[in-house]
Amino acid sequence: MIDVDSLKDQFVGAEFDAREFVLDPGKLVAVARAVGETRPEYLEPDHPDFQATPAFIGSLAAARHLPIDFPALGGIPMDGGKAVFCIAPVRPGVRLTGRSHLHDIYDKSGRSGRMLFIVSRMEIFDPDERHVATSDARMVVRERPQS
Amino acid sequence: MTIATIEDVEFGAELPPFEPDTSLVATGAFADAVGWGRAARFKDHDQARAEGLPGALVPGIMALGFLSSMIHRWSTAARIDSIDTVFRAPLLAGEPCTLSGVVTDIDEETGAVQLDLTVKNPQGENRVFGTASIRLPVA
Repeated sequence: MIDVDSLKDQFVGAEFDAREFVLDPGKLVAVARAVGETRPEYLEPDHPDFQATPAFIGSLAAARHLPIDFPALGGIPMDGGKAVFCIAPVRPGVRLTGRSHLHDIYDKSGRSGRMLFIVSRMEIFDPDERHVATSDARMVVRERPQS
Repeated sequence: MTIATIEDVEFGAELPPFEPDTSLVATGAFADAVGWGRAARFKDHDQARAEGLPGALVPGIMALGFLSSMIHRWSTAARIDSIDTVFRAPLLAGEPCTLSGVVTDIDEETGAVQLDLTVKNPQGENRVFGTASIRLPVA
């Protein structure tokens, strides 16, 4: 059985990826349209407050999902959910940096066995190193029963 | 009713329901724009079934986007501070889904509002649920 406390001690909080992005205005508009957005600041690139939707921020991903030395957990990982924290507008056309770390690891047990939850957090910074948004990805792994 | 300031928000109020476009055209456009255009699971039912899925899927993060749009439609003055979604089961592309939201907390001093959010399939099953913290102008 995987020792969750040990995994937390070893991995939570340590940055495992840093990646740069420059967002394309046309792609921001395409996502805004696809999700049914109606506000001009998400749909009109000429709007003075034009910015990425929460969905676009949540789609930004690290080059890898987990630290390179993270142990194989055995089960099939599933996308358990996403969270986006909007601190300041995320603008296109400028260099953004996403730094990722594991924010939390926890487990829940039920009738079908134990599930492990791994929350990978990307913090996004603008060219002035101002923290503008955070995106969490929650990965769920069903632990294989011991034979 | 127009929701322009925190004074317009009532505890327990329900956001107007919103039925988003889950068509393959929409899921494909979303996938292309976020760089997942090569993932057939969002664009083609047959190829998705060949991967063992029940059909082409609505990307989970797209459901978060639908919920954000519902909030923005409800109040053009609302700013989303955070939105957190749990993907309980997949949403199928082309299948209608119904979004709902309800006000669960109000702080009139700061303008902060908490919302509970759900996305249901045509069978009325919760596929995605979550919460949002939003902020409205204080009158």
